Amino acid sequence: MNNRIRKLNAGRDYIADNYQAPLNLPDIASYSCMSPYHFLRVFKDTYGETPNEFLMRLRIEKAKGMLITENYSVSEVCEKVGYISLGSFSSLFLKQVGMAPTLYRRKLWAMSTELYRFPAQAIPACFAYRFLGKLTK
Amino acid sequence: MITSIAHATIYVLNQDEALDFYKNKLGFEVGDDMKVEGDFRWLTVHPKSKPQLQLVLAEPKEGPMFSKDSAEKIRGLIEEGAFGAGVFETENCQKTYEELVAKGVKFIQPPTEQLYGVEAMGVDNSGNWFSLVQR
Repeated sequence: MNNRIRKLNAGRDYIADNYQAPLNLPDIASYSCMSPYHFLRVFKDTYGETPNEFLMRLRIEKAKGMLITENYSVSEVCEKVGYISLGSFSSLFLKQVGMAPTLYRRKLWAMSTELYRFPAQAIPACFAYRFLGKLTK
Repeated sequence: MITSIAHATIYVLNQDEALDFYKNKLGFEVGDDMKVEGDFRWLTVHPKSKPQLQLVLAEPKEGPMFSKDSAEKIRGLIEEGAFGAGVFETENCQKTYEELVAKGVKFIQPPTEQLYGVEAMGVDNSGNWFSLVQR
């Protein structure tokens, strides 16, 4: 692993470890010992997404998990993944997942045969069939 | 036209231990880690720069796919090193090899010149062989 990747990984790990807190580019870039602009450019070149896109993706993935496996309200989930505005969180969730957080939860809970478990439909069908013996649709 | 590969399976002996290896030794990132109905744990990891390819860390257990006997046989084969985890690429094989050795990763072959680049061969903590290749 070269030095540039090592530095970038430090910044990326910082985002992953602190996704629930308010983060800003200069702080993140400082973990990689780079200027914000340089960090932004090489991060995108290396990982194929900007630091902010990575942070948003991470937050939405965490939110999806919480919505299914925990009984938090959507507002609580929003707060726990680092968003202050419920409106911003809901809009982003809708954009990334294709449905509002409440609908996502309702839909997946209705599919699952067990409380607080993802339904088999949440994973690719060939794996669901192989490990769970279920053909999903 | 098929455009890419999204998921590939690595059978491991213990998901927690495999996660520790792939995350803390190889530096992979967790993709999905979720409980699916039936108490099945869907666990995937990926290299930081390639979230598009998820490696599914799965335990061979008695279930729809494997009988108890088959699951035991597969576990035995994993331990024997009969399966490969795949080929992982690096920009500097010697350097990555040294870093991984320092972290306690076992290697069967140190970096060696091959027709296709420099390659070292390692083993994960289940017994799966993997290649570390610099092209």
